[in-house]
Amino acid sequence: MSNVLINKVVKSYGRLEVVHGIDLDIAPQEFVVLVGPSGCGKSTTLRMIAGLEEITDGTISIDDRVVNRVAPKDRDVAMVFQNYALYPHLNVADNIAFGLRIRKESKEHIAESVKEVGEILGLTPYLDRRPANLSGGQRQRVAMGRAIVRRPKVFLFDEPLSNLDAKLRTQMRAEIKRLHKRLGATSVYVTHDQVEAMTLADRIVVMNGGIIEQIGTPMELFMNPANTFVAGFIGSPPMNQLRGNVHKTADGTKVKVHDVLFDLPGSLAVEEGQEVVVGVRPEHMALTASADSFEIPISLDLVEPLGSEALLHASIGEEPIIIKAETHGDIAHLSGVSKVYAPASLVKVFDAKTGLAINEQASS
Amino acid sequence: MAMNMNLYSRGDKIFAIAVSILIGLFTVATLYPFIYIAAVSFSGGFAAAAGKVVLTPIDTTLAAYKYVLSQPKFWMSYLNTFIYTIGGTITSLLIIIPGAYALSRPQLIGRRFWNLFVAFTLWFNAGLIPFFLNMRDLNLLDSYIGIIIGFAVNAFNLILLRNFFESLPQSFEEAARMDGANDFQILWKVYIPLSKPAIATITLFCIVSRWNGFFWAMVLLQSEEKIPLQVFLRHTIAFLSDDQEFTATLSTQPYSVESVTGAIIVCSIIPVLIVYPFIQKYFEKGILLGGVKE
Repeated sequence: MSNVLINKVVKSYGRLEVVHGIDLDIAPQEFVVLVGPSGCGKSTTLRMIAGLEEITDGTISIDDRVVNRVAPKDRDVAMVFQNYALYPHLNVADNIAFGLRIRKESKEHIAESVKEVGEILGLTPYLDRRPANLSGGQRQRVAMGRAIVRRPKVFLFDEPLSNLDAKLRTQMRAEIKRLHKRLGATSVYVTHDQVEAMTLADRIVVMNGGIIEQIGTPMELFMNPANTFVAGFIGSPPMNQLRGNVHKTADGTKVKVHDVLFDLPGSLAVEEGQEVVVGVRPEHMALTASADSFEIPISLDLVEPLGSEALLHASIGEEPIIIKAETHGDIAHLSGVSKVYAPASLVKVFDAKTGLAINEQASS
Repeated sequence: MAMNMNLYSRGDKIFAIAVSILIGLFTVATLYPFIYIAAVSFSGGFAAAAGKVVLTPIDTTLAAYKYVLSQPKFWMSYLNTFIYTIGGTITSLLIIIPGAYALSRPQLIGRRFWNLFVAFTLWFNAGLIPFFLNMRDLNLLDSYIGIIIGFAVNAFNLILLRNFFESLPQSFEEAARMDGANDFQILWKVYIPLSKPAIATITLFCIVSRWNGFFWAMVLLQSEEKIPLQVFLRHTIAFLSDDQEFTATLSTQPYSVESVTGAIIVCSIIPVLIVYPFIQKYFEKGILLGGVKE
């Protein structure tokens, strides 16, 4: 197994720089998801690992070998393309065997490998069909089969599920995760869908505008976003971000949003009157008070039932806020909500100018 | 008509009728000369020469065919046409396919320049005499090779195939590259199989233009044993009536210059008619269906 080391990698097209010197260390067998909005440089980064794009500056190493000048075929990586890129003139078995044939593997080895991959991916009944006669999910599986048959060091996935309908996507997502558990190969997966990122990743790399905003486990990103961008990208719906000012009171440091005072966790390096953004996740607010929670009066606009939960669209003054509340099978009791409670320990504070998280100071 | 015309407006109906009439006229205009020539070739020499044949043979006879098929020069030119057609088509494909692929690749250095270079020849060329002098100076006059390679590259076919290659998703190339294929393998194992319809089209264009190639063969070839069928046909039309050996037989044989000409034309059309259905099956669309999802 291998690790992928991305060191100060820059990608420019002519004068336009699209990736601005990123660093990323991917451990053996790790499943890393690059996520971000379109144009953030995630696919370009993946294609640089694959060898389909030249690296303008910096280095990429696979297994401690710098591969900047190594052809894709000699990098021992395999890629699953967004549009599958199955060869339409070949049947499923030949599509899977294509790479092995090019590498002049023995006939017996090819037959055996194709059979095995067919079984792993449940493609055995379709081996002699052409791609045109397969469903979307089956084509996706063939594309994965073509990648896994070579047992490469690194798997690259370029938005592989974005062409599938929602139900199939959920199903294939689980299959990819199962496959990764079974094969244990280092995987780099690109998506713009944060749900895919959260469910699949060992670690998520959030990219934006050609830089890395944050690297962390799904729960780290969820609980401790490094900045307002990550806070607004991860989570569905994302973290509420409310502008306010720091207010030091006898009762401790608080943030005043409109006329509501937000309690803060621990001691933060903030100054009186400083402009900040407070972040509260919709699912961290509750309709009933608990030990360390404080009250937030809201004016409710709209209730969106999702089944077991409902989204309350509300506002504090001009600032919109979304609260996720349990329905317990009925939403009637939600229409009269005028205040919610949030635990101070789960409130995040970001600098309003830089967008960076202001973390708790080490307790002295 | 099978469709329910009530669903169509007056304008649609008039349009459909006008289109049908135009197609009908075009069909007649294309088909009639062929029927006429075939009818003449099977007609008696007197009727053919007198212009009495309109649609069907008069005084039906195979005499013209017997005469044509007994001429060694006919068979010689027929063989030559096969040599020029097969050799020329293969040479053309060998040059055009890799050329079109190279021109279609974004990574080709100076791609715009090379494409312009090729397209330029669509609109401008040196003209007849410089080309002739060029062929003369290259010692390619009166030679098989001259005809075969002198007309091997056709810019139109090159651009046609280049456009087709360009229309194939780039990800096929990338997938093959990831699978370990080099440029030749990508072309040979992926792009050529995917381009069968386009390659069939340019193959047919090459075959037909070679088969019917007349003007340059007439200009460049002097030896009678090297001329293709079309030039032989021209010789027949121009000189047969002055051929005393031939005119001497006219009183005893039921053929004429006209029916012999017709027979040569019919014989020259047959191979193209035979080849066409084999190539036509590749014209079917949809071979790309399902390979990628856009």
